[in-house]
Amino acid sequence: MTTTETGPLPDDWTLPRLGRVNTEWFTSGKLLVQTCNACGTRQHPPEEICHQCGSMDLGHTELGPNGTVHSYTVAHYAVNRALADAVPYAVVLVTLDDDPSIRIIGNVIDADPGEVHIGMPVRATWVERSDENGTVLLPQWVRA
Amino acid sequence: MEGRAVVVGVGESPYYKRGGASESEFQLACIAIRNAVADAGLTMADVDGFASYMDRNEPVRLSNALGTGDLHFTGQTFGGGGNGTAAAVALADMAVSAGYAECVVVFRSLAQGQFHRYGQAGKSRRAGGSAAYTAPYGMLSAAQICAMQTMRWMHDHGVTQDSLAEVALACFAHAQHNPRAVRYGSPLTREEYHASRWIAEPFHLYDCCPENDGAAAIVVTTAERARDCAQPGVPIVAAAQGLAHRGGGAAFTEDGFPTAHYDLVARQLWNRAGVKPADVPVAQFYENFTGPVLMAIAEMGFCEPGEINDFVANGGIQLGGRLPINTSGGNLAEAYIHGFGCVVEAVRQMRGTSTCQVEGADLSLVVAGPGFAPGSAVLFGRDS
Repeated sequence: MTTTETGPLPDDWTLPRLGRVNTEWFTSGKLLVQTCNACGTRQHPPEEICHQCGSMDLGHTELGPNGTVHSYTVAHYAVNRALADAVPYAVVLVTLDDDPSIRIIGNVIDADPGEVHIGMPVRATWVERSDENGTVLLPQWVRA
Repeated sequence: MEGRAVVVGVGESPYYKRGGASESEFQLACIAIRNAVADAGLTMADVDGFASYMDRNEPVRLSNALGTGDLHFTGQTFGGGGNGTAAAVALADMAVSAGYAECVVVFRSLAQGQFHRYGQAGKSRRAGGSAAYTAPYGMLSAAQICAMQTMRWMHDHGVTQDSLAEVALACFAHAQHNPRAVRYGSPLTREEYHASRWIAEPFHLYDCCPENDGAAAIVVTTAERARDCAQPGVPIVAAAQGLAHRGGGAAFTEDGFPTAHYDLVARQLWNRAGVKPADVPVAQFYENFTGPVLMAIAEMGFCEPGEINDFVANGGIQLGGRLPINTSGGNLAEAYIHGFGCVVEAVRQMRGTSTCQVEGADLSLVVAGPGFAPGSAVLFGRDS
């Protein structure tokens, strides 16, 4: 599910560079968590080799969109001039309810920073963003 | 092999607020190194090695400029920042103890007024590697990274904002005795701490290390050569560096999150030294931010995480308390020289020349930058 909400950061803010292991994560519009085809281990962020068995034969498992805020910070100081109008904004660390060992950074794009708290239930969504290098579907979060 | 290498010299440049140095970063390095070598009663021709971490002032240039002897050893540690502060001292310990070099300078020079500011981040069109998972969400600075760790740790263990304040208050209180400190003459009250602006919750302004210009250095040599030096030698009792199994996951995915990365360092250090935390009367804990200092105090074994509020309260980490920390003012209030001022101060505690001297102290601990892996620590002793 994509959303028209864009979150707290500017529309031309940094996007992920797509590479060997992260293209599915940032373009599929699904929580495709990297999974080892040899031993079944899930790992995030994706890597070029399975952390458990060393296999380089890696696929994906789609996990459900529900998650829980495990930690967060509210950034008040703009570390880059381009973020001067974005602060204060919250950054959250979400664990997936399907597999709490998977932790994902994001923003809760429909909540004010003061509403974000540890234990907050959230649900994944995707924000479509483009630049001259192409289009990504950025995983983000809304209140569940 | 530990215990054979001895610190015989310490030195620093003047410490400045960011942008305050008229000297270049390279000149600051040269000043600190010259001062440390002179303090030892040695000459530059005696120096045959350099060790550091994340420093851009290369030994080749330093050796030429300063006129060292033949170089037999150069080394820097891996890792993202101030977590290498004590590991760099360990490199010198290893080089000297194993006989590769006889007189190694360990140094760090950092002029944030002339190069990248650690509190700021560039804007790139696309972020790769592990930053692909953080930068697009506005997670960019060390303060934000440590805030994310600290927020969960405070939640798990009931740690209060006042306990974070205690670290800053200890540093500022100690800096009032140290004329070298940038914040000498600028005390901090609890009310001022709580009233200061947020940087990244749970960090206020005074939870965050400043950006400074300066350099600091020590000279490490053999016990045999130390006997002829000008100052009482300060032996390196033990050092340790550590990254726990699967402890280095990118973007907060490491096992054990939130951790300051000091459990493994602690186990190694106390085993090697043959002492326990209760034997240590004074310590310098690298403050990038106050929260990770509290995490590191617990992980080094000084108390359980759930006991940290009581441990730091009522002057517990100030001079006269159970464990005075950052007795020069530390990164927060002396100067942020990427933590190397903590090493210099730890040596001064063993010489008995600190401006906040812990009387009778016979062990002196440095814990390097917490929250980033691998962590490192070094324990100094007294000349016997």
